Amino acid sequence: MFSLRALALALCVSLATAARLTVSIPASALLPNPATLPPSTHAVLVGPPGVRYDAPIRRDSTFLFPALPAASYLLTLHSRDYAFPPLRIDVSSAPAESPQQQPMHAWQTFRGNEWANKGPSYGAGHGELHVHVQASSPKDFYQSRGGFNLMGFVKSPMILMGIVSAAMIFGMPYVMENMDPETKAEFEEMQSKSPITGSGGAANQIQNFDLAGWMAGKTADTGASAGGGGKKK
Amino acid sequence: MRVPWIAATFFLARSALAVFADEAWNVDYHYALLGLPKQSTSFFHQPNPSSRASLIYTLSEEGVLGAVNPRDGSVVWRQLLLSEALAYNVSFLRAGEGQDTVISGIGSQVAAWSAADGRQAWILDTAGPLQDVEILELSDGRETAGAKDAIALSGGEHPAVVRIDGTSGAIKWQYQWDGVDQPYQVSASTTEVFAILLHKTLLGYVKLKVVSLDPVTGRKTDEHVVSSENELASAETIVSVGANSASPIVAWTNSAHSVLKVNILGTKEISSFNIEAHDSHAVERVEIHAPYHTNSLSHFLVHYETATSHWADVFHIDLKNSKIEKAYSLPKMTGKGAFSTGTSDANVFFTRVTRDQVMTVSSASHGVLGRWAVAGFGVAAGPGESVEPVHAVSEVSIKGTSVSAVRSAVLLSTGDWVLLRDGSPVWNRPEVLASTVSATFAIPAEVQEFVQQLEAEAHGNPISAYIHRVTRHLQDLQKLPAIMASLPQRIVQGFLGTSADGGIASDSFGFHQIIACATRDGRLVALDAGNPDKVLWNQQVADLQLGQTWQPSVSSPEGGIIEINSKASAGVRYNASTGEQLFSILPIDETAGEVALPVKYAIHKGELDATVDTKMAWHFTPMSGERIVSLVPRPVNDPVASIGKVLGDRRVLYKYLDPNLALLVTANDVTKAATFYVLNTISGAILYSNVHSGVDLGSPISSMLSENWFAYSFTAEASANSPKGHQLVAGELFESLVANDRGPLSASANYSSMQTGTEPFTLAQTYQIPEPISHMAVTRTRQGITSRQLLAVLADSSAIVGIPYGVIDPRRPVSRDPTKDEQMEGLVRYSPVLDFDPKWYLNHQREIVGIKDVVTSPALLESTSLVFAYGLDVFGTRLSPSFSFDVLGKDFNKFQMLATVAALAVATFVVAPLVARKQVNARWQFA
Repeated sequence: MFSLRALALALCVSLATAARLTVSIPASALLPNPATLPPSTHAVLVGPPGVRYDAPIRRDSTFLFPALPAASYLLTLHSRDYAFPPLRIDVSSAPAESPQQQPMHAWQTFRGNEWANKGPSYGAGHGELHVHVQASSPKDFYQSRGGFNLMGFVKSPMILMGIVSAAMIFGMPYVMENMDPETKAEFEEMQSKSPITGSGGAANQIQNFDLAGWMAGKTADTGASAGGGGKKK
Repeated sequence: MRVPWIAATFFLARSALAVFADEAWNVDYHYALLGLPKQSTSFFHQPNPSSRASLIYTLSEEGVLGAVNPRDGSVVWRQLLLSEALAYNVSFLRAGEGQDTVISGIGSQVAAWSAADGRQAWILDTAGPLQDVEILELSDGRETAGAKDAIALSGGEHPAVVRIDGTSGAIKWQYQWDGVDQPYQVSASTTEVFAILLHKTLLGYVKLKVVSLDPVTGRKTDEHVVSSENELASAETIVSVGANSASPIVAWTNSAHSVLKVNILGTKEISSFNIEAHDSHAVERVEIHAPYHTNSLSHFLVHYETATSHWADVFHIDLKNSKIEKAYSLPKMTGKGAFSTGTSDANVFFTRVTRDQVMTVSSASHGVLGRWAVAGFGVAAGPGESVEPVHAVSEVSIKGTSVSAVRSAVLLSTGDWVLLRDGSPVWNRPEVLASTVSATFAIPAEVQEFVQQLEAEAHGNPISAYIHRVTRHLQDLQKLPAIMASLPQRIVQGFLGTSADGGIASDSFGFHQIIACATRDGRLVALDAGNPDKVLWNQQVADLQLGQTWQPSVSSPEGGIIEINSKASAGVRYNASTGEQLFSILPIDETAGEVALPVKYAIHKGELDATVDTKMAWHFTPMSGERIVSLVPRPVNDPVASIGKVLGDRRVLYKYLDPNLALLVTANDVTKAATFYVLNTISGAILYSNVHSGVDLGSPISSMLSENWFAYSFTAEASANSPKGHQLVAGELFESLVANDRGPLSASANYSSMQTGTEPFTLAQTYQIPEPISHMAVTRTRQGITSRQLLAVLADSSAIVGIPYGVIDPRRPVSRDPTKDEQMEGLVRYSPVLDFDPKWYLNHQREIVGIKDVVTSPALLESTSLVFAYGLDVFGTRLSPSFSFDVLGKDFNKFQMLATVAALAVATFVVAPLVARKQVNARWQFA
């Protein structure tokens, strides 16, 4: 494995100046139990050309990079179920007086922005750094179909109107029949008096509108029996 | 009216890119493979001491460590330890008794993995390549709590024996030796650690040297040579078992395999046994099977194999006086056989699997405890090929004194890994597919035959065609009773949505294509893309010696036929449906040669040379310091439906369509630059080129060319003012960038690349992508009407994403919002970051590991493209990049349709009398 070989090489070369990076995935509201992450979860550190480290997830939900030479790295976490933000990890050369104390720093980085554009710091250390990276979003692979939903169908206004009118058509005759005669008479009287549906109401007037008569110049006050053709009388 | 329609199609196209929840797991198929398991690194083991159910662990020839559930053969977890499979890799896998970790050793790394979930516990790099890894099972009481330690033997310049702490992976002690002795193996008894070294004598022979070490301090306590001066010509005849048995042994034979010599490690005596020849064939292989537990009886079995038969002897070790005695023999049987060891408490059982039976004996006596006939292994094999067991691991269940059940995981000569419960196969895993090196789609022979019949009818004279058709229909009538009988069932299944798409012959959508995979070890395996659960046929087509490679490429030159071209043989053809080899009596098609490209080009000594009729046409020399990384030509079968792109205002932008395009990638290792050229392969002209500096040349650079567009990706190095990370570049070639104008081509009806050098106008756009793309492919449909998807293999996410072209379209407007016309075309504002939407993942929740190539094929339906990916895993699916517009999908609810019709019928019957009464009343009633 290329990366492992690189790791081995780095281990041999820079054992004296090895910076140790631990990345852990803490439990969060999104990911309450990091132990459920699949074993294929891994972290990739991409350094200068040719330098790449790949660490699988460990039992305690961490990734360990035991020996990093000085460089600027891009850290990406890959998991089947969750997405993680990318980080920038800088490992500087150790000061001469303390070769084990390599300054390390971690920031969030933003894809598509210049490398100098750093986000909030994720921590700093000397020779050793522990970074916590929380899952940013779960991965949703599936598209659900806009399938048939009975409740949604019934709730639509057109269907509701249809149901109400159907209820009126079928239900009203029964209601009328089952009324006692007094109420029925009262109801009928009310209906006839109502400005819209009554005999003199607007609706009736429109329905019985005598277009031919109106065009012939007939006036409205010639009497209620418009159908009779009043002028000849 | 058109405008919303265009917008609607675009919207539909966008929404259809995802994997639908009801199609996932049904339309796609996936073999999560491990590679061929090795005998020495496969075993049954309880993932934690408290559980009774065990898993099968293996570290395969592909360098994949995995746990398989013996119940159904599914992979519980796996880890890819080698990114590139080696033909022969030295690897080790051990598990201590009652431990919850397994310890792997490969390359120079020893690692412990949680046995239950496959997470890493620790990893340690040894200085040199590993020669052996063992678990230290001490009985001195100091190792009761915590994980058992491991010992590793590493070679290289500074060979050493290392004791590794089982909990932390830290080194407890290290023993190094001076001199030229080569490390060979390490063994441990309960009280001592033995390092077996090879000492080269002056005459070129090898002597076995055993170094005893104190397990606590790592100090050398003893050293002696066990084999005599000129016994061993090479290390190959050593058959030692580096076991944690109560008394580890080392055994070897002479080069003629006629004498077996065994030494109990820690003693100086050598027991010698003659190997009796059972027939005229010489013994070719000698293997030792011994239990891997310190508290087991110290019995072992020696397995002898000739070309035609095999047998075995069982030996007992007397621990008190360190004597080895032969206890009994298992009789000779023809064919190959596999032996495996199982233990129960201290008792040891040997299970023998042959081609027709499974048999279990106790190590103590030769009485057969269980014998089961094997009717068949349930795997596909070539015609006349007998399926032989290669090796096996087994688990024996004991009830009282009898064997109640035996489970054996057997690797067969066909490359299938099969679990036999007693004598019947429970599951099989086609691990041979993990080493697929080339694959192709082919139309089944039955379909091709039907096509030929139709063609005969279309082109023959009317009368004979009519007779032909009538006879064909009469023949079809014979199938009528069977069809009628199955009709009710099919209708019911159709409504319940449980119907499997019929067989290969009755394939109206073209989903049942045959996928032929050529594997590294010389087999050709065929799958049915419409019914991928079963291997159609599987046969040995190349006889390879160890270490030989054949570099095959499979193709389907015409329907129903699969052709293999390899280093050794050119153009061997097979029937796609049956795997039958077609002898080369096929008529040679004279016209086919003329259709082929007159200009042939190939990469030759780092340069690209093109020839016309053996004369040099052109050649392309990379600039000094550059090397050719890859060359991707436009696919031969790449139909394009429209020669232009219709803009929002109904004007047309003409595509630069040339069948002779290729994308060439060169890299300069010094300046870290990568150059991408689009070449005309007839004239050799460079149509487009682009240089990217600061490229990580160690990361994959993938490229793809189709229709009139290309895409490539690479990893860029950061500088302070440029982004670091992975980039995807998409470019599109046009005849001119002015709408409704074909540029210089408009005047001529025909053109030739040789005469006119028209250059395309190229638009390119770069996107930042979250991870590297290791391979690219493109979907293909029958007419090319359906929009295309770029298929990108993401090695880090173990996924394949289908990126819709609209997303990487280079015409996306930059730093402004799209105009109304552009919006109608479906263009959205350019943004430099392209995140892979999880809904684009073709594999959804599956994890497809180690994909090296993706092949695509059009189905008969224009909307659909078949996709097949191989490498380690095998994955396939059907894609409809522009929504399934020509077939009723699963979203079409047959029940709902029927219910609507029924409801309308009922409503009609109920309302009809009401209406009739009302009409009658209207005539007759007044008031």
